[in-house]
Amino acid sequence: MNWLLKLCGVSLLLFPILVLDAQQTPSDPVLTAMQQELTRSLQNLKKAPVPPYFLSYQLTDNRSTSASASFGALTASSDRTSRLLDLDLRVGDYALDNTHPLREAGRSMNFSDQIERQKIPLENDSDALRVALWLETERKYRSAVQHLQQVKANVQVKVEAEDRSGDFSHEGAEKHFEPPAPFSFNKANWEQKVRNYTAPFALHKEIIENSAEVIGEVETRRYVNSDGSSIQISSPFYRIIISATAKADDGMVLPLHQTYMSFRPDGLPDDATVMKDVNSMVQTLLALVKAPLAEPYTGPAILSGRSSAVFFHEIFGHRVEGQRQKNEDEAQTFKKKVNQSVLPDFLSVYSDPTLKALGSTELVGYYPYDDEGVKAYRVTVVDKGILKNFLMSRAPIEGFDHSNGHGRRQQGYKVVARQSNLVVESSKKVSRSELKKLLIEQIKAANKPYGLFFDDIEGGFTFTQRVIPNAFNVRPTVVYRVYPDGREELVRGVDLIGTPLIAFSKIVAVDDQVSVFNGMCGAESGWVPVSASSPGLLVSQIEVQRKEKSQERAPLLPPPSGLQPK
Amino acid sequence: MRSRVAATALVLLIGALAHAQDDIALRAMKDELKRSITELQLQQMDKPYFLAYRMDDINQTTVSALLGSLTEEQPSRIRMIGVEVRVGDYALDNSNYVSMRNFGGGGMFSSIRQATLDDNYQQIRSGFWLATDSQYKKALEDISAKRAALQMRQHTDDVPDFSKEPPTKQMEPPEKNQAGDELKTLARDISAVFKSAPEIYGSSVTIEYRNYYTRYINSEGSSFTRAQPLFKLQISARTQASDGLPISDSIELYGRTMADLPPKDVLISRTRAMADRILKLRAASSLEHYNGPVLFEGDAAGEVFAQQFATGLMAVRTPLSDDSRFEMFFNQMMSQMGGGSFVDKVGGRVLPEFLSVSDNPLLSDYKGARLLGSSKVDDDAVQTRETKLVEHGVLKTLLSTRDPVRSIPHSTGSRRGWGPAPSNLFVTSEKSLTTDELRKELLRRAKDRGLDYGIVVRRVGGGAAASFMKMATRMAQQNGQVSDSLAEVYKLYADGHEELVQGVEIAEMTPSTFKDVVAVGDTPVVFTDEFIPRVGAIFSMGLSASSNVPVTSCVVPSMLFEEVSLVKNQGPYPNLPISPSPLAKQ
Repeated sequence: MNWLLKLCGVSLLLFPILVLDAQQTPSDPVLTAMQQELTRSLQNLKKAPVPPYFLSYQLTDNRSTSASASFGALTASSDRTSRLLDLDLRVGDYALDNTHPLREAGRSMNFSDQIERQKIPLENDSDALRVALWLETERKYRSAVQHLQQVKANVQVKVEAEDRSGDFSHEGAEKHFEPPAPFSFNKANWEQKVRNYTAPFALHKEIIENSAEVIGEVETRRYVNSDGSSIQISSPFYRIIISATAKADDGMVLPLHQTYMSFRPDGLPDDATVMKDVNSMVQTLLALVKAPLAEPYTGPAILSGRSSAVFFHEIFGHRVEGQRQKNEDEAQTFKKKVNQSVLPDFLSVYSDPTLKALGSTELVGYYPYDDEGVKAYRVTVVDKGILKNFLMSRAPIEGFDHSNGHGRRQQGYKVVARQSNLVVESSKKVSRSELKKLLIEQIKAANKPYGLFFDDIEGGFTFTQRVIPNAFNVRPTVVYRVYPDGREELVRGVDLIGTPLIAFSKIVAVDDQVSVFNGMCGAESGWVPVSASSPGLLVSQIEVQRKEKSQERAPLLPPPSGLQPK
Repeated sequence: MRSRVAATALVLLIGALAHAQDDIALRAMKDELKRSITELQLQQMDKPYFLAYRMDDINQTTVSALLGSLTEEQPSRIRMIGVEVRVGDYALDNSNYVSMRNFGGGGMFSSIRQATLDDNYQQIRSGFWLATDSQYKKALEDISAKRAALQMRQHTDDVPDFSKEPPTKQMEPPEKNQAGDELKTLARDISAVFKSAPEIYGSSVTIEYRNYYTRYINSEGSSFTRAQPLFKLQISARTQASDGLPISDSIELYGRTMADLPPKDVLISRTRAMADRILKLRAASSLEHYNGPVLFEGDAAGEVFAQQFATGLMAVRTPLSDDSRFEMFFNQMMSQMGGGSFVDKVGGRVLPEFLSVSDNPLLSDYKGARLLGSSKVDDDAVQTRETKLVEHGVLKTLLSTRDPVRSIPHSTGSRRGWGPAPSNLFVTSEKSLTTDELRKELLRRAKDRGLDYGIVVRRVGGGAAASFMKMATRMAQQNGQVSDSLAEVYKLYADGHEELVQGVEIAEMTPSTFKDVVAVGDTPVVFTDEFIPRVGAIFSMGLSASSNVPVTSCVVPSMLFEEVSLVKNQGPYPNLPISPSPLAKQ
């Protein structure tokens, strides 16, 4: 009998190993050490008076090389190798645990968490890794127990929460294994490229600052948790970021940016393409310096696909992140709007982290599993104008009990729900020239001297909280006035402002030119790569304000003269 | 033989000159400085009367290891430039003025910025051009605000703002980077020692290599280039006693080359000894309180001297402010941080009559041990020299920069980094005792007090830190993971046997405690550490700070104090770990 059981056990064990062998055995020494220490810690901590109900380890290996230049000369060149541990230890239960936000508690500055953080071995020695994991587990356990006491007291003394959902969702175990991706990056080569990319800016005194930075990195994330998940994903990520700033005679600072991102080493553009873009940046900057100053204005406008994408990311995307419907400091714009109309009925919006490309353009918001080990899913956020769903991490909200794989973070931060690839689709579209015609009709109908065309946007910011007005500010870089006769004129100094619900109700038409904005998005869980894609939009009314400008006097002496004396 | 040495020296000299000749960076600095000093002027306002440009090439590598495995490997290469602009004149200029307005915008540090890594003449000049422009504008605002502030008060202090010093020229070639893979191997091998001690919870080995190359020129005609490579090796370990008392210790060593550090087998055996001592400390007895004679032996004497006494030897001036409350606050803060500078004590007795103290940057070793504070010029390009600070117990002068204070009108050539800092400090004595005699003297004095034993402190560790930075670090470590206790303390009994004691802290120690030194040993040792200035130096720092943290060597004999108060570390102690270390396999 005993013998039979043993045999069963062995065969059961053998079976998965054989299967995995067929698809490259995931025999990663680091993952194994993480698994062993997780199991041991849970066994030991089980005996403690307040045992943890959940424990996860995520180790993020990052190998990156970067080079930056300005005006044709190298400004920085670095190689970094890091391995960071993110440890989630929860005491209490799924309904109420130590991570529960303390209401009206003020922000405590947690210096000690940064200073005491144990350095994690970069090398794959099991003993050293396990000691580091053990020290961090003990440290987090001590503070989790202490925190749970505070949470329980806080829940007692404050009014009942509006949203009574729990603190953590039940999710299944996931297994996924990718071998570490190879790293290929020729630094010396790239140092010379960024010098070349920035040399043209040195020829124009109007251009006061510029930089080109290239970053090549491979990130490998290993994740294990007490639900039985074990995930290893690995991906390279290559970026070129070019920025240049001109200064107008009145002191206004005029920035332009150009970024290229790819998951493939050969995915970055060739030198000829970059140089062409650099030269057109130079031309645009010189034109902007001479362009007339925009006046505060309300009226109709077209947002190009790229501008619309940023507009949606800032104004819409951040407001459908799950935790914002729950946290009592948040304005919760969309909380009570599920199954109600929030956009015109021809628009649908989805968030799809499983999408690697849209047409021929790569989407950098791609990932197979999120940072809580949950499989990534496509989420239909808005269907034909009706709000359907939110982007969810494992923090439940009322009516949404589960994660949909949008729990993300930069290493070292706490996970919250974040965007991935935001895609705006329209069932009704017209050509670009048709959209311009519609704009002119709107201008005439509203009896305005001109409308605006937002060609490019550098990014923006949005306030989603209650204590400050719930508004947005998007920073357009290239804006044209469109006159009723169809003439276009470049203007400078425009900030696009407004409040979200009004802005969405003013979208009247959409073109057929979908563009992608790939970028890095910063929020409470750090910087994560995201994309947003949208066709161009005609908005019946937008509001712009004058951009702030620098009060600093131009340098007293002219730039030092050209060449080194012989 | 002699001629060969001379020939070598000549070759080196020619090499240095040749380097200076084709140093593109230096030429760009000179050309831009010349243009700025002659042409820079805003309308009818003051022209700069003094300009200094500094450029630091910093190659740095940090390597850390835990239990034989690397945890950090961070090479970096940056180039910082600093610009010092003075308007007005030597008597009254824009310096030594703190404006509340500068706190908001980070204006205090605006004089330092990053520059191109390439020897690109045009871009280096451009960097200095923009830095000079913004510092000049700031200087104009500061001097008019300072003049306005002075008009609002009865002015009593007529010390000039900037001292005149003879110009110097000193050229050194850069040093090759020494950090290779051997740093990694060393860190791995030393850290592996702790693998056999699972009762030591946390440990780390960190090796920092910094290779600084500084170029400096000013409008008075001074210029220097200087190479300052530095190795810093830090080995630390921590655990807890069974009642939770945190126990920690560390070894810190400095050198200019790898060869200055002890060989690997010596480092490993010293690390083993430290590990053994920490384990013994877990079970050692403790001490409720103690008032009586204490002998600081070896390194411990250098540590208390550097931390508690040497920090007062700098001439620090109270800066003028647009808000007189700031000056009050500044002076209060200085006295709370363990007393400000000794500026009011010049001419008074600060040590017993048999002790003298001097600062000597010209010596590079003491009996074969490298001194780390050596340099021919300071950061203001002032020629360095020996300064006799304390003679027969009486304070003669303080270490100063070109920012004079009352009674110290000239620079002692001591500008290092943010402000004045010691280079190599020597404590010398007219009478000394052998190690045995010192211990007998300790026991005799203990007996006079009716004590069964005397206390010997052999290592201080972080426990007596009174400097601002160390205090801030300690405050941040709220969970008490790092011990506040003295690292190595013994009870010495009359029969000569020693007993290790855990969890002992110094209750109070001020610079005036050093007046009660009753005897010193005859074999001084070299203790080297980074010099963290008192908080005041941050506000009174020069206009263009070098980013290099100064390292100071102290040559100090063992010191017997008449009376020191010691207490037990009162906690609260953190809980013990719930799981044992994964290394503790049966």
